[in-house]
Amino acid sequence: MSARIRMAKLAPYLFVGPAIAFVLVFLYAPVVFSVGLSLTDWNFISPTMNFVGLENYRRIFADPNFRDAAVNTLLYCVVLIPAQIMVPLALAALILRVRNPFLAGFYKSALFLPTILAYSTAGIAWLWLFDPLNGFFNAALSALGMPTSRWHNDPSLAIWCVTFVTFWKNFGLNMLLLLAALVSIPKSLLEAAAIDNAGPWRRFFTIELPLISPTFFFVAVTTTMNVLDDIVGVIDVLTGGGPYGQSSNILYYMYERGLSFFQFGQASAASVIIIVLVLVVTLAQFRMFEHRVHYES
Amino acid sequence: MKSPYISRRLFVGGAAAVGATTVVPARAFARDDVVVTISSPWGADRPFQKVVDAYNAKATGVSVVNRLDGDYQDMATKALAGVAAGRPPEIMVTGWKFGYFARRTLGARDLAEVDSAKADEIMSRFKPQVKPLVTIDGALIGVPWSLSTPVTWINMDLWREAGLDDDIPLDISHEWLIEKATAIDKALAGKNHPTYRSALDLSNNEWTSQAYIQNAGGYILDDQTLTCDSPEAIAGMTAFAEPARAGIWTNMDYRAQQKAQYAGNIAIVATSSSRAGALAKLDTEFKDAMFPSLGRPRNMNSGGNFLAIYAREDELAQASMDFLSFCGSEEAQAIWSEMGYLNASVFDLGEKPLQTAATAQLDAGLTPETIWPGSRGLEGQDVWRQWVARVVEGVVTPEEGMARAQRELAPLVSID
Repeated sequence: MSARIRMAKLAPYLFVGPAIAFVLVFLYAPVVFSVGLSLTDWNFISPTMNFVGLENYRRIFADPNFRDAAVNTLLYCVVLIPAQIMVPLALAALILRVRNPFLAGFYKSALFLPTILAYSTAGIAWLWLFDPLNGFFNAALSALGMPTSRWHNDPSLAIWCVTFVTFWKNFGLNMLLLLAALVSIPKSLLEAAAIDNAGPWRRFFTIELPLISPTFFFVAVTTTMNVLDDIVGVIDVLTGGGPYGQSSNILYYMYERGLSFFQFGQASAASVIIIVLVLVVTLAQFRMFEHRVHYES
Repeated sequence: MKSPYISRRLFVGGAAAVGATTVVPARAFARDDVVVTISSPWGADRPFQKVVDAYNAKATGVSVVNRLDGDYQDMATKALAGVAAGRPPEIMVTGWKFGYFARRTLGARDLAEVDSAKADEIMSRFKPQVKPLVTIDGALIGVPWSLSTPVTWINMDLWREAGLDDDIPLDISHEWLIEKATAIDKALAGKNHPTYRSALDLSNNEWTSQAYIQNAGGYILDDQTLTCDSPEAIAGMTAFAEPARAGIWTNMDYRAQQKAQYAGNIAIVATSSSRAGALAKLDTEFKDAMFPSLGRPRNMNSGGNFLAIYAREDELAQASMDFLSFCGSEEAQAIWSEMGYLNASVFDLGEKPLQTAATAQLDAGLTPETIWPGSRGLEGQDVWRQWVARVVEGVVTPEEGMARAQRELAPLVSID
């Protein structure tokens, strides 16, 4: 075999190799390492590493804080996933109908702006708005003669404050994605439907929605991951999981076990549970909805 | 004459040289100092940097670098990563509550092992009552640095507006506090006052709740035995939660409380004496009183941090000891006293403003803050804080809260 042929056979591996190595080292290896760590009591610096079996899993399932975090995670998903898909879809459909291009651009920019803000910056702003004594919301309520609130310091409201800020922070990206998908629908199809007497609602549900289904499905999957994972930034800045764990979620629970309490075995066990959860939910989404997605142009 | 010509190579070389002089500190070439890095929660704008600068100015052959690493937990996390990588910070400002973690997990050095004579000399410059606070498992693991204790801060502007007498006793009781807070609320609430928002804040945390329990005659942990469900502890927690139940304490998190106190929104705040430095600089007049007693002699707790050595190499450990020795000097203590912490040294630095109550409590003797034992001790602190919050919020009664805290804490504080 000539050198040229050998090189030609090797070339694909050389091109793809670095990308595969990157994924192996930075994605799959940590997952395998986490699974291994979740079965030990190692703390990264101890010279001894004891195999503890499923003890870390038993401990976190017996922990009331984990149970609270799991219930909160479910609540965040139930509220935020539909909200972060439906509201941006409605806004995208409305912006599409704004005839003044300057006004449409303004709406797009204004609604997308929160997405590009850092969690720390957004968190400071919202902490001021929610401030229990001098915050904007309480000042407004007082001016209207209404009772004030402790907002994120109130155990029954903390989770809703986190939910609202997470929604505010994240809906903009979905809106832009759905708007881009709606814009790409051929005008001729919509005009033909209108000529056939299809009203705006009918056109939306029978033409626009099916045609943007690939984007819609992508948004649904990424939003689910986002609600399970990215929400931790808002929790950390706004409430720190409190009061007494009332606004925590499983990822924040994992963060606390690892980086506040240095229980890396438990943190790894929680991370494995999160990985399984995300996999199951994503798989369920694919099984339930992928066959309804129209990939044809 | 040949005209000057700058080649591309000469230009690049020159630019690199100019760049290097701006990036590489001059001291890198100046001397062969041993460099000691301190992981600390204070940046260059705080008095601790002045202590470091004063030491470096002496050119002892040891160069100290103060590295801002965040709060205690951030520092501990970074130290853990450093230890795992074989490069721990030489010195770390370590919170009292991290005592066991510092010694048992991070391997804080016994100062007596590093240099016994120097350790004795350093400790001779501190009040004897603070030595137990830095002794963990029989080892002297640090130099007491920041020492504070919970006291009562009174906003005198709001106090006077409420028509109360300026003659405030130093030694106050819980009943007195409730009576005055109620009077302030009655006088100022619901009248569109420009700043007043709440009469009282006892600080919803693990520290002031510990003070209430100890002042009632109990302990959260008696040595290493959990006693947070004792009748005394329940009595302490009942008193602690009383103002929240009565509606004169608007319960909020630490950040919001601190901001509100500085803005003059809260009339009376029971919190750390270390706020003295900041409160003394505000336009609002504040007065300090002792932490409220509960019908018996106080048994107040302390808090703060110590300077611990984590360096593994002997040369670095010795160099660190040299800096700690300076920290124990009158010069360093005088600089550090600007911060607002209690004077734990034997030097007479004069009484700083708003430190009368804290000094009185220190003179009466302070216990350590709760240092949670066991490898899961740091979880223990969080669990305790959560149950305190539940009791303050009224989600559970003090009896139920303390009993459930005891049950949840028991497996976490077992020694392993």
